Amino acid sequence: MEGIFFDYVVPCLCAFLACVGFTLMFNIHGVGKLIAGVGGALSWLVYLLAGSTIFAAFLAAAAIGIFAEIMSRVRLCPVTGYVLVALLPLVPGGGIYYAMHYCVSGDTEQFLNTLLHTFGMAAALAVGAMLASSLFRAAFPKLRRPGKP
Amino acid sequence: MDYDKLLNMAAELGYQLMYSGAEIYRVEESARRLLHAYGLENPEVFAIPNCVIVSVATPEGHPITRMRRVPAHGTDIELLERCNGLCRRLCAQVPPLDEAQALVLALPEDEPRYSPRRVLLGYGLAPAFFAPLFGGGLADLVCAFLCGLAVGGCLLYGGRFIGANSFFRTALCSALASLLALALVRAGLGDSVDVVTISTLMVLVPGVALTNAMREIMAGDTFSALSRTADAILVASAIALGAAAGQALGGML
Repeated sequence: MEGIFFDYVVPCLCAFLACVGFTLMFNIHGVGKLIAGVGGALSWLVYLLAGSTIFAAFLAAAAIGIFAEIMSRVRLCPVTGYVLVALLPLVPGGGIYYAMHYCVSGDTEQFLNTLLHTFGMAAALAVGAMLASSLFRAAFPKLRRPGKP
Repeated sequence: MDYDKLLNMAAELGYQLMYSGAEIYRVEESARRLLHAYGLENPEVFAIPNCVIVSVATPEGHPITRMRRVPAHGTDIELLERCNGLCRRLCAQVPPLDEAQALVLALPEDEPRYSPRRVLLGYGLAPAFFAPLFGGGLADLVCAFLCGLAVGGCLLYGGRFIGANSFFRTALCSALASLLALALVRAGLGDSVDVVTISTLMVLVPGVALTNAMREIMAGDTFSALSRTADAILVASAIALGAAAGQALGGML
């Protein structure tokens, strides 16, 4: 029980709060703040459950894509804000940092490894969210779309 | 109908949408739909990340064009939602032109904004809660909070000193973050330099540019997608460069 609490609940809570911090920077108000935070927590939960690999990032991004599409239809507002904030915890900031670290210390092999891993992460995020929301739109074209009167 | 006024209104709406960080297809489609609602047959709208061009031909066959240059901007979701809502309303109700124009012009003015202090708090909160995600403890959380506040303050209040060049600004903030992280850990407040630095860098990371690039690709705007991808890569290298400089400087001291 305690293992679950510290392995999953606390990190998801942290992802939630971090995303709420980002909503202040992106000027998101009201209930949108909550949705963006829940999106961030959801993405991190999927990422942890799927094993913290590049494929896990792909799945997490796909989950975000679908979550944001649903929320934008519920609230009738653009999907942009939710995807933007919820994906941020997964963006490979660590990858950039470690790649720089290895590059400066002259460890070319590790540098290339980390660099490719970083690009892989970024590509997985992009493709995951893109694929999921395209599939969602193809599957439910009848749902009312925000922006279309 | 006064087509000059209509054109100005559509260009202003496109400008506001672009300024709030909307996708290209949303800018183009909103302006086109608005012009269409006011009875123009084939309005043409073209947008790239820093420019919006709206061109229409009046029923008499007279072509008129308006171009708006969009300066460097951040992301403002509230403004984006308001523009979207207003566009939908105008298309559905088609109020008189003067009234509609007043509504469009009032968009940025009566928009709620967070006070700079709240935004600064956001800059502190986000890195603080990223620290546990990257394996840091409570001490790292506090350090990341302080570093985030420093970076946020630099971005919010230091605009006059560090200029508007985003590459330079990102590199400088990244250097500041890594230097401060090093100093705090050396002073015994934090546990891991790596964790604190990475958490702080997360507020500079080009997540927004990356997400936008991906959405442009999905919509088929390859040109804008490429320029946004280039932007993301440039920001990432600025972060790496700044962090490297900060660490080298910290190593010397």
